[in-house]
Amino acid sequence: MSQTLSPSQTSATEELRYRANTELADEAVTATGDLKPHWTYLLDSINELGPKAFADRQSKALRILRDDGATYNIYSDPNASGSHTWNLDLVPFVLSSDEWGRIEAGLLERAELFNLLLRDIYGPRDLVRLGVIPPEALFAHRGFLRACQGVRIPGDHELILHSVDLVRGQDGRMLVLGDRTQSPSGAGYALENRNVMSRVFPSLFRDSHVHRLAAFFQRMRAKLTSLSPNQSNPRVAVLTPGAHNETYFEHAYLANYLGFHLVQSDDLVVRNGFLWMKSLDGLSRVDVLLRRVDDWFCDPVELRGDSRLGVASLLEVVRAGNLVIANPLGSGVLENPVFLRYLPEISKQLLGRELRLPSVQTHWCGEAEDLSYVLGNLENLVIKPLYRSPDSRSTYGPELGKAALQQLAARIKADPTQYVAQPVLEASHVPTFNHDSLVPRPAILRSFAVASNTSYTIMPGGLTRVGLGERSFMITSQAGSKSKDTWVVASEPERMLNNEHIDEQPGTREADLISLPSRVVENLFWMGRYAERAEAALRMLRTTFMMLNGEERISNLAQNQLLHAVSMLTATPPAAGQSSEEALRGIIQNGLVIRSISGNLRSMLYCADETKELLSSDTFRVINDIRDALTTLDRNFSGSLASAPEEALDPLVTALMALSGLTQESMIRGFGWRFMDMGRRLERGYQISTAIKSLAVPVLSESDQSKLCEALLLSLEALISHRRRYRARIGVPTTLDLVMMDNTNPRSLIYQIEQLGLHIRALPRSKTQLHELPADERRILECESLLKLSSLAELSQADGFTRSQLDELMKKISALLSGLSDLITDKYFDHRETSQQLVHSAWESI
Amino acid sequence: MLYRIRHTTEYVYHSRVSHCYNMAHISPRDTPRQQCLSSRIDVLPGAAFSASRTDYFGNQAYHFEIQKPHKKLVITSTSDVRTAVQSANLEEPGMTCGEARAALMDKSDFESLLAREFLLDSPMIKASDELREYAEELFEDGKPLLVAALELTRKIFAEFTYSPAATTIATPIHEVMATRKGVCQDFAHLQIGCLRSMGFAARYVSGYLETLPPPGQEKMVGADASHAWLSVFIPGTGWVEFDPTNDCMAHEQHIVTAWGRDFYDVTPLCGVIYGGGENPVLRVSVDVARI
Repeated sequence: MSQTLSPSQTSATEELRYRANTELADEAVTATGDLKPHWTYLLDSINELGPKAFADRQSKALRILRDDGATYNIYSDPNASGSHTWNLDLVPFVLSSDEWGRIEAGLLERAELFNLLLRDIYGPRDLVRLGVIPPEALFAHRGFLRACQGVRIPGDHELILHSVDLVRGQDGRMLVLGDRTQSPSGAGYALENRNVMSRVFPSLFRDSHVHRLAAFFQRMRAKLTSLSPNQSNPRVAVLTPGAHNETYFEHAYLANYLGFHLVQSDDLVVRNGFLWMKSLDGLSRVDVLLRRVDDWFCDPVELRGDSRLGVASLLEVVRAGNLVIANPLGSGVLENPVFLRYLPEISKQLLGRELRLPSVQTHWCGEAEDLSYVLGNLENLVIKPLYRSPDSRSTYGPELGKAALQQLAARIKADPTQYVAQPVLEASHVPTFNHDSLVPRPAILRSFAVASNTSYTIMPGGLTRVGLGERSFMITSQAGSKSKDTWVVASEPERMLNNEHIDEQPGTREADLISLPSRVVENLFWMGRYAERAEAALRMLRTTFMMLNGEERISNLAQNQLLHAVSMLTATPPAAGQSSEEALRGIIQNGLVIRSISGNLRSMLYCADETKELLSSDTFRVINDIRDALTTLDRNFSGSLASAPEEALDPLVTALMALSGLTQESMIRGFGWRFMDMGRRLERGYQISTAIKSLAVPVLSESDQSKLCEALLLSLEALISHRRRYRARIGVPTTLDLVMMDNTNPRSLIYQIEQLGLHIRALPRSKTQLHELPADERRILECESLLKLSSLAELSQADGFTRSQLDELMKKISALLSGLSDLITDKYFDHRETSQQLVHSAWESI
Repeated sequence: MLYRIRHTTEYVYHSRVSHCYNMAHISPRDTPRQQCLSSRIDVLPGAAFSASRTDYFGNQAYHFEIQKPHKKLVITSTSDVRTAVQSANLEEPGMTCGEARAALMDKSDFESLLAREFLLDSPMIKASDELREYAEELFEDGKPLLVAALELTRKIFAEFTYSPAATTIATPIHEVMATRKGVCQDFAHLQIGCLRSMGFAARYVSGYLETLPPPGQEKMVGADASHAWLSVFIPGTGWVEFDPTNDCMAHEQHIVTAWGRDFYDVTPLCGVIYGGGENPVLRVSVDVARI
């Protein structure tokens, strides 16, 4: 045993050598303690790199994952959001090409078998009829959806996607722990892991001759597209339960990578036997759904009646042959672990031979013999419910005390058909980076198969996850396990498989810009509004801090107006009747203003999550900056008006500027961009008129007036322009000229209105015989005319204590703009009535 | 016997329904003792889209979608059906309870294997000790299963009160056991629950019953009702139907619409509506006429 170095001895030349536990099976090290050949190059390279450099790469990887928005939601997390950056350990799981060949053959065979099994279950049920499996093994499983009887997909394969969890047992053989057929997750995370690895270790990755993943995804895209019953212009969509789902990142990531739409329940509707996506220009037909919603939730008419994640009558569309869903509805039944118990017999019946790749030994409590074995050995077994759901998890016998074991036994005896038991396996170990060293951790590998031509294609490698501790046997992402890239390494460079010809129709993207789901468009619109609202408030708050603490003293009256402006822009009026400076300072000091701003930013982040698939990874980096700045803002901002408090706001203003710059520079000028920009323009126009009402309408002494104009100009980034252009003391007319009338100033009111007009005139219109202008165009024209027909001299005219014409004009424009927002909302966004079940039934939990 | 059946279901909503998707089980199916000669379904307001199919259990399922805003939905099924008596009878009752229980576990008989689906718990029926204890004294190993099942039918008829007010569309069995009141669905669920708790396969049957007017009176149109009973699997004999609401085996007057594990599988009309407000008013009328 070598001595461990204490941190104080750390030096640049320190080694990062893997120390295996030779008592347990290890992937990288033989029983005699030698490195296995296919691991040597990798582990030598890591060793050369040393712990410090490796840790650097690890934090680089974390940054990339964050920038890509790669998250995984953990439901039990006490954190409000439960959203975590995807956990990637940079030491890959390495498999030799030779061994992978054998595993791959086994996986292919297994996918074929499960395809036949699925057909039999929803077809003749010969396995039951012939007594190959006990009837209860099928009929007692909640995933057996009788409504799916006889639903067929054309072609040889009904089971499109098949995943398997594999471990290597202590005897060195790869063993299947279970199958994932409902809506197998992880392929997108595997792709992201690969993407990060190849960026963080470019040369190591290149020199290791790792089999590439791209071909697998090309095949997946080709297969899904080919399933379309509508040959000419297939539209494929990924159905997600929404942003709260644990693997939502993957849904958006895959949709993007494969070039499919990402849709939620409310984006879809069934009409006349077809499935449609609701988009700006009406309904567009959907031909293929890649489903990430559990089948049981997909159709409230025939399946779970109270589901909000499905589409009413979806199953009828499938039956009519007008839609193909992958995996097909009902495929969750294949996850029934009881099938593992009978798999040799099933395989002999359906394939004519036993499977090459063995499965973990499984006991089903529905068989009397098995039951008595299980009850006698509970403390050594994992007990699994037949049907996997968030509220029924596996129980690990070794973790239980006496009382808990007795309770478990009683639960099993009460309903034996609903439980299986398996031995607790000690999976083989792989080297894993942990605080400056490489330690052995048990690993589980998820493989991915997709139907393709006459057989299946297997992703070379898959998604590896490792246990948190050396002996931990619960290895799931929900339990916080780390993931790894999986490298199938060839002894020589891989031939360019990627260039093989895959029969795929050229993409048809012509109308796709227009056919964004209306939900996405609505979220982009609000993302624009919230971002702008927060920015306007931040700018005004920053300006106010600077003026209040400025070198020139300003009168209480002017201070009051500044605070008033902050209060108006953040919609945080002090308690009724209180307009004293003290009350106004109060809303800042008690955190009300900051809470309002961070509330808007949080809403903006929510909209960004809902439109994740449309945002670039640069955009995500900025969004992460905003998220970070928000946490520090909430934590640190005491609201004290002393000592340059505006500094604390700068990072947020900068991040928001970057965000708006990115959307200007890197978003395609489609309807998505238009609606986001409309949201921005509308909000900015509204905020400018609000600021003018607070700062330019009241009539004050000349020096105060000039101070307030300066504040207005400063908050709208126009102070420098004003100084250069007018070279005079700042007055109301010149200020108004710059912030209201100057259409070359991108922060002037007229500029917002002209831009809005351009957007509105470019939106899709219903065809009408009449020549009258649509209501939204009329409104924007009225805004424009009102402004252009005003005279600066009249607007600046004092009328007692106020400039009443200016006040009047700003009020009109605010009202027109908020009316315009309502019009857009009514016209372009979906407002579906809430649905209900015709017959309410409390019975559908089985 | 030859019948024409008209089954009308009417929903009146408190507010407008803009759109709806429904699934109905209201057309009679074929069975060994029954043949459906013709069947038609009319929907008001008109359906934009409709389709019929045979479901998992071999029943007729009808799907429709209405796109017209409406406050009233009327769906009428009209069918001509020929029925006959069951072939099973007390003279040749077939297997005893003991034999039947053993034969159900016979792996070489595919009918028994498939019938075992109806031995398991279903959405609305869970086996329990209470149900087993209620019935088991009647099911001695040596007694023919058919005779015992008929005795259980009689026991339920005698000990439970038919009370339309007592139950909503679906009452949990344990409540029915506690109040000793119910309607035909409840009694059918109850007897199925007892049978399954003792290890026999039983399924739920929905349909109609021809009612005869009191002597000398004209029969009123619409006076009939939809009805429910059950059937028991007797290995070697097949499925035998019993009606605990009327203390009998099903006759020619029992016209079958559909069967399943329980009411959930054969709900006459279900679906999703958009709008409609709360508590729509439901009216059902059935007319069974000899032709």
